[in-house]
Parts: sequence; C-alpha cells; structure tokens
Amino acid sequence: MILINCPYCGERDQSEFSNGGEAHVARPENSENLSDKEWGEYVFFRANPKGIFYERWVHSHGCRKWFNAVRDTSTDEILKIYKLDEKTPEPKDFSNTLKTPSGEPEVGSGNFTVKKQS
Amino acid sequence: MSASNNNCPYINSDQKISIVFDGKKYTAFKGDTIASALLRNNIRLISRSFKYHRPRGIYTCGIEEPNGIVQILSEHNEPNTRATIKQIYEGMEIESQNRWPSLNFDLGAINNLLSPIFSAGFYYKTFMGPKGFWKKIYEPLIRKTAGLGKPPKDFRSKSTHQYHNVDIVIVGAGLSGLIAARKLIATEHDVLLIEQDSFFGGVLKNSNKIKKINGQEIKSWLEETEKLLKNAKNIRILKNCLVTSYNFTNHLIALEDKFVGKKINSNKSELTLHKIRTTHTILANGHIERFISFRNNDLPGVMLASSFEKYIHRYGVVPDANPVIFTNNSTTISLLKSLIDLGHKPAAYIDARDEKEIEKELSDCLEKNSIPFYKNSEVEGCDGNKKVQSISIRNNKNKIIKINSSMLCVSGGVNPDIHLFTQSKGLVKWDQNLLTFKPDTSFQNTITLGSVSGNYDYKKTNEEIANKLFFLKTKNEDIKIEINDTNSFKIKELWETQHEKKSNWSKSFIDLHNDVTTKDIKQAIIEGFDRIEHLKRFTTNSMGTDQGKISSINSLGIVSKLLNKKISEVGTTTYRPPYAPLSFSAIAGRSTYEFYDPQRKTPIHAWHIKKNAVFEDVGQWRRPWYFKKNNETMHQAVQRESKQTRETAGILDGSTLGKIEIKGRDALEFMNLMYTNPFTKMKPMSSRYALMLGEDGMIKDDGIVCKISDTHFISTTTSSGAPKVLADMEEYLQTEWPHFQVYVNSTTEQLTTFNISGPKSRDIMSKVFNDIDFSNEKFPFMTFKIFKYMNTEVRIMRASFTGEIGYEIYISPKHSLELWEKIFEHGRDFNLVPYGTETMHLLRAEKGYVVIGQETDGTVTPIDINFTWMIGKKKKDFIGKRSLTRSDTAREDRKQLVGIIPLDKSQFIEEGQHIVECKTLPRKIKKPIPYLGHITSSYHSPNLNHCISMALIKGGGKLMGAKFFVSTSNGTENIPVEVVSPVFIDPENKRLVS
Repeated sequence: MILINCPYCGERDQSEFSNGGEAHVARPENSENLSDKEWGEYVFFRANPKGIFYERWVHSHGCRKWFNAVRDTSTDEILKIYKLDEKTPEPKDFSNTLKTPSGEPEVGSGNFTVKKQS
Repeated sequence: MSASNNNCPYINSDQKISIVFDGKKYTAFKGDTIASALLRNNIRLISRSFKYHRPRGIYTCGIEEPNGIVQILSEHNEPNTRATIKQIYEGMEIESQNRWPSLNFDLGAINNLLSPIFSAGFYYKTFMGPKGFWKKIYEPLIRKTAGLGKPPKDFRSKSTHQYHNVDIVIVGAGLSGLIAARKLIATEHDVLLIEQDSFFGGVLKNSNKIKKINGQEIKSWLEETEKLLKNAKNIRILKNCLVTSYNFTNHLIALEDKFVGKKINSNKSELTLHKIRTTHTILANGHIERFISFRNNDLPGVMLASSFEKYIHRYGVVPDANPVIFTNNSTTISLLKSLIDLGHKPAAYIDARDEKEIEKELSDCLEKNSIPFYKNSEVEGCDGNKKVQSISIRNNKNKIIKINSSMLCVSGGVNPDIHLFTQSKGLVKWDQNLLTFKPDTSFQNTITLGSVSGNYDYKKTNEEIANKLFFLKTKNEDIKIEINDTNSFKIKELWETQHEKKSNWSKSFIDLHNDVTTKDIKQAIIEGFDRIEHLKRFTTNSMGTDQGKISSINSLGIVSKLLNKKISEVGTTTYRPPYAPLSFSAIAGRSTYEFYDPQRKTPIHAWHIKKNAVFEDVGQWRRPWYFKKNNETMHQAVQRESKQTRETAGILDGSTLGKIEIKGRDALEFMNLMYTNPFTKMKPMSSRYALMLGEDGMIKDDGIVCKISDTHFISTTTSSGAPKVLADMEEYLQTEWPHFQVYVNSTTEQLTTFNISGPKSRDIMSKVFNDIDFSNEKFPFMTFKIFKYMNTEVRIMRASFTGEIGYEIYISPKHSLELWEKIFEHGRDFNLVPYGTETMHLLRAEKGYVVIGQETDGTVTPIDINFTWMIGKKKKDFIGKRSLTRSDTAREDRKQLVGIIPLDKSQFIEEGQHIVECKTLPRKIKKPIPYLGHITSSYHSPNLNHCISMALIKGGGKLMGAKFFVSTSNGTENIPVEVVSPVFIDPENKRLVS
C-alpha cells in the first residue's frame, strides 16, 4: 500500500483514495460530429502504459477532492502530484525507467530476485 | 538419551508443567516449547510426513520447522502449530497430525511402499480415468487424505489491529539489532524494535559463540541493554512479534501472539496484527541453517546442528548426550564446545572439508577429548526403525563405515534470512565464499545488519553498524565483542551425498515438508522443467508452510550441478509474504460477525421491530421486508398489505433512499447535463421523475427531482445508488466543469422520508396537516410544498410509486417518530397499514414501474424501457446523449420492456427465468436453445388475482399479444405465456392524478 501525498490533506495511506484512471481525457464538446468509433474511444478506451502514466486520484475517505498524479507504473513510484488547476508537468521532466525493480529479467526465466551478473 | 543444561536462564525448572501428547502425560518446565518438552522426555517421533507418511521427528528449533507440526486439542482445536515455537501451559493437550490410526502404526505408510507411483508431478499423469471415477472415487478419497490437521471448532476470533507510524523499525533484537537500538537511544528518531521470541538476544541466547561484550558477561549485558531500551523514551519494544511482510512503501506487517505460554482468555484478543509505516527499516533478522541431503535424512533423530545448540542454550535441554555431528563448515565448532563444556561427548565428528581447511583449534579439541574424527568424509545415509539407529559414513578413502548412534546433527551451511529483504524488492547476489545468497541492492529504505547481510564475523559487527547507520546520527558507542571460537567462516560446497546402493526406495530428501526427494528434482529436469519457477511448482519443492527455509538453497545447488550452470544463473524463486503462516483471524481483526459491515437503520427502526417487521438488507440498510401479523406467512402478509393499500391506504418508511441538495448559480445547467430530462421550463415547486445515464447511454440511477428554483434542486436516488450518484456529481463538477458554481451535498441521513399512498391517503393527510389544502386543484400531482410544522420544516411532495394517490413527507429525524405515530393515529379510522419493501415492489410492478437493478442491469437504455418521453429532445447535451445514437444502442432488436402473464391464470412465473419458443425442454440438450429474453420481476397480484411479470425480450415493442413459453426451475415443462403491456392496473392513471 503506497503513500499518497494529498495536496489538501498531506500524506495518507493509499486505502483512503480511489483511483480515477487516466488523466487529461477531456469530454468531447461537439460529440454529434464524432463517428461512433471516435465516440466509442472516448467512452471505452483508456491508456495503460508501462512506465510514466498521468492519472487521477480522489481522496474518497478524506477531503473528497480530485487531483492528478504522475506515476511510474513499473515501480509504483509516484513522481509528482499536482492539483487540477496546476500546470501539467512535461514528460521530459521524468526519467522513464520502464524497469521492474530488479531490472528486466531474461525472457522466460521468471527470475526477478537475483541481480544480473554483468 | 537427553540430558539437562541447568545453566539455562530461560527455563524455570522450579515451575513444572504437565502436558498431554497423543494421550500420554509428560512433565516439562515453564518456558518450554512443545518441542523442547518432548525432547526432554526423549520423545523423538512427532509426525508422519505429508505424502509418504514416513516417521518424522523434530528437525529444528524455530519457525523454519518442516516436520514438527501438531494439533492443539485444548481450546479450539488449532491445527498446524509449530511445536518448536508454541510455548506450553499447564494441561495443554497436543495431538500429532496426518496419521491413522496412530503415530506409531500409520496405515498411510503404504504410500511409502508405493512411492515410485507418487513421484514428482504424479497428479498430472494419474487419476485420469475410467470416466466417472474422478467424481465418485478419486476426488472424495483424495480430499479425505489430503491436508495435515483438522479444522478448529467453536472458535470466535477476536484479533485486533494496531497501527504505527515511526521513523525506524529494527527487525530482530539479536546482537546487531540490540547494538543498533542502543545507538539510537535519545536520538531524534522514533524507533520500534520487534523481536519474535519472548527474550532478546538472538545468537547471544541461542549459543555461546560470544563470550563477552565490553567485558560484560552476556547475561548481564542483555539485562543492561533491555533496561536501557525500556527506559528510552524514543524506543518502543514489541516481543513475541514476528514480522511477516515487507510491502511497498516501507510498510511492514507483524503478528504478535498475546498469549504465549498461557491459555487463551476468550474475553481478550488473542492476536494483534501490527501495521507499521516507517521511514527506514533495519533488517537484523539473522540467518537460518540449511541441511545436507543424504539417504534417509528425514529419520527421527536427524536434526540441524545449530538447532541442537539452541536447545542446549535457549531451552536447557540436551536432546542427546552423544550425538554424531556432520558438517561442511566451521559453525559447528561451537556446538562441539558446548557439549564438551557440559561433560558430554559427541559419538563422532564428520567434516566434509579437506585436511588443510580444518581449523587447528577443531582438530586439537577432538583429539584432546578422544572423539572419532572423520576428515574429508560425508554421511552416506542413516538407518533405523522409525528412528536413527546407525549411521553410514563414507570416509576419505571412499570406504563405508557404519557406527551406532541415535542422533545426527547436520550443518550444510548458513543462509542469511533474505525473505523480508526480497519481499521489499531488494536484489540479492550469490557470494562464492559464503556459498549463499546475500542482500545486494535495496529497493526501499532498507538496511541489513549482521548475519542477514552476510556478515558472519562478529568482530566486524560494530564497524558494520557504525558505517551503515552513520547517516542517522547515532550515538558513538564503541562495542568490543569477545568471541568464543574461531571466527573465519569456511565452507565446502556439499548439497547431497551419494547413495551406496541404487534402489527405487532409497530416498534423500530436499524438501521435508512436502516430501520432495532429490530424485524428484532430477526427474523434473529430465521432463523439461529446468527453469526454477517451473521446477518449484512441478515438484512442490519449497511450497510447504515452511517455504523450504532450510532447504530451498540446497535445491538450487543441486539444480546448478545438474544443469552445469552457476547458481546465480539458476536464480531463486520469488519469496512471497507472509514469512510464516498468518491466521485469517489476525487479518480480519475486529471486522467479524456483526462488525463485518456497518448496519444502517432509519430513525424509526424501533417502531418497526415493535410491529413485528421482518427485515431485509438493502445494501447496508436494514429495511422492513413485510410486517408479520399473527401467524401469517410472508405471502399472506404481502397480499394483505398490497390489497389494503389499494383499498384505503398504506405507508412505507422510505428514509433509506438517497437525498441530494444541488445549489448554485449554475445548478440548472448542471442538472440538465446530469439527467436526461429537460429542467429549464420546469415550474418551481414542481417535481419530475428523472433518469441518470452513464456516458455509454445505459441507465445508472433514477429518482425524483424537485425544483425549488433555477439555483436550488433536490434529487432523490435509489438506496444503494446514493453514494455513487453523489460521487459522480462531484467528479463532474471538479474535473469536467470546474467553471460551474454548483455545490452538492447529501441529506440522506438529515431527513426521514415517509411514503403514504392509497385512495384514502388524502383524507389522512388532511387530518394530520389540517392547515394545508390537499385538494387536486390546490395540490396537483408532482408538485411539492414546504412549510412549518411541529416547530420544524416539513416538505410534502405529491408523488407515489404505487399508482395510487400518494405523498412523500420529509421531516427531520428528531420529529419523525412523533409524526409517524400521529399519522397512524389519524389513519386508524381508515385502516392505514404499514408495508415493507416486498409490497412496495409488488405495487409498482402492477403499474409497470421499473426498479433500477431489477429491470436494468447496466445494459439497458431509456429507449429499451419505453422512457423515450423522459429524454429532453431539445437539449444540446447531457451525459449519455451521444451514446443513444450509437449503432448498437439504436438497434431494433434490442431487449425491450414488456409485461408477461401466464395463459393459465393459476400458474406462477419465476423471476430470472428465460423466455423461449419451445414448449418442453429436451432431456438432453444437444443444440443451444435460443434466448429471447428473461423475466425481470414477478409477483402474484392480489388486486388481479393472478401472476404478473415484467420482462426484457428482444424486439419486445413489436410483440404485443405474441405467445411464448417461460422456463421453470421445476422440470422441463415450460409455462405458456402472452406478451402484454407492463401496466396492469389503471393504465390511464386515473387513480393517480385524481
């Protein structure tokens, strides 16, 4: 269970929050001009990358306010938390590790614990 | 034969305790574990192994025990208890597990004779046929024989949870842990020191490897240290507490046993689960010895050498006065010295190492005491009937020598206990000098100290701690450690020894808990399972409750030799939490039985109980289901309530339904976006039945919206949908339309709601609220009034869910019971009846009103249920609007809402049944039967005297009058039915709006 630094309440356990999926997905304004496929992508599709991910959280068991976070999904490290009206951080501000904590193991070895001998 | 060590300070030999094991009484001392108590009484046989039912004895002196797992009969019959950890109390009754009829004579031993069939992975290749045998014979038989202990009985768990937020956690109060703690006294850090035993010390109490610390005797140094730590204001101590998990982020779970050495007091919690958040974790949790595989290395009488040593020093019992010691490393020298100091002589000392590696100190000691010394030798195997009786040694000339002995102490090396470190996602590295894995790179704020970090040199302890903890600004205390024996750790690689004779039945074990032999490892590799994770699962090696703590590294050694790979390339399997078995009782804490989920009640709940309401759970709410009069059945009660309501009047406690207030400059625009209905031209003080959709066009919730003004609305929601509707409104306001000035708030618990309906409800209301004009002209349908009454504000809305004239009354909880009773006082003359949720459902079904979650399931649009009239055609946008014109939502053959009645009015249609075209279901169904629709609600209407149902059927809108069949749960004869309008009573709504 990770620690999340709510911008309004301070550091709290992850269990006090609900995850809101991908951030910065705006509701299309003139949806009547979108094809079924384009509209369907807004309704049903969200990104799920390994690595740097911009997402939303809400402090359900606290202040009930929404905010954004940048998280490295391969290590679960929260890189930045920013309020909804604050400037969105640039991806270049973060180094994309794309690594599991033990580095990428050999394909098929299932071996995640032993450090690779160089 | 066992002997005593009377110098042990941890055993109180003045306090005798008697226990019962397998029906026989034994005497031991206060502070003994079950294992030390049995060893004291020379009991070697403790269990039968999992698969082969081989006789087994106590192998270790700690949590890593693979054999000594017993059932505690006293108290609640707790199974699978480690005899090496569980401290005894007076009268404890213990039973051995996995044997029948007795430990000495176990019929299960036949498995041992049939062992060639039960080789690794046998269950993937056997029990395949003949057809039908699995269900009738194999599975019941396997189910009966599988498992170890028997389940507990009459046990009401009462564990608690405790939370900690500290700066530093020290796991393990051994040599390194205590020194680190001492250095942190009176610093700025909040420290939590956790120790799994009842006493501090680790290697200091489990052996005599260390002679003095800072010139002090060990006993006195420990006493002084404990006193200093207890008095330190910034240090908190937890004993009898085992850290089981190291999670992200720097979060530890530890299990504390509150009743060590005592019988459980059923008024107190027996376990506490500590949930610890820390900034730094110091792992000082020590090492675990590993064994060596040889023929029959599982016979009772074979034990780990350092465990034997721990029994001497920690528990004051010498399990055998003349054991044989077999080792491949230098750690067993202290065991030898401990025995000699007590006046005992090992029967032989077998060292696998070469002459030139053997310490002079060791050879001198053996020579001086005339102990037979076998250098560069190994144990080929041991033999005996249910116990070690003789040991075969392969000496340095490759000759087999047999000696008699009843105990064999084995040491195959020492492993740092890396479980917690790897759980934290730290990386380990193979050390070729120590021949083990040790921690290398931390992933979180983890520091390792002492033997767990691979530091076996006690002289370097102080330096290591000073360096690694320097950044914490620790106290500069110099610790001088005097050791008792040679300090340089030397080991020769030896995982298994060779059998002299080849035989199908000679076994050397690599996993004692799950009965995995070294032959199984070899077979697995031959069959292609050469990746360590595959091999583990195929052979079940290290998958037991001990997680292979004394043997898993050995299996890697054997695999590396077979594959001709380096051990670092073979790797280890992933160590997963918990470190040791963790009971569900501890995980559940207090959230059990009536505390599992909050129970929500309305303010007049006591009145319902008084009137014999039978309750049902709607989400977390307790709602009256029906009111039971005299001895009537539920069916009779519901029929009575329904009939009476349509005849005169009935009243329902509707307080559980959600109430949300929406206020603000942009409230109107917000409401137009959230719901399908148009609210712009809606008159103030009027109400409207409204629908809320998801962005996918599917119905999410419904309710009634009251408009007080363009800037003030009140919504109702379903009982279980209330929290989600409020959360969704907040999400849209905060994330999508932050420019709106709108505030939403829940008033579900701030107001009670009473729903009264029936032809006489108007009369009753006029009597209760005699200042208000309830005539049709002055109080039209779907309008509401707010006024003062009983010194508080009351809102009355004219609406109903029953199709009769009805009103919804909103009043504060403080006044609710008084008003409710007043309504009944005036309603008595009209036979006003209280009704529950079942009648509510029946009455609305007679009118074809839908219930969210009954007629809708997340795949139903407003068009599907004839609610197109609720969609504001001129609205530019609302949540879900675009989806209603998607090709899939606009299909003509979608499931649509209809009514269903049986052709034979005496038949009853069940909810959930399918609508089909065939009269009879075939006995053997060869082709799938086409699904046309299903019954969403079904009731026996007392007002029409037959069954009425609502259903969703494909293309239902065009099927009025069509005939189909509905399946039943009772046989294969389907019920003939007709599709009708879902409005069964008063389709012109004359009763409703009069």
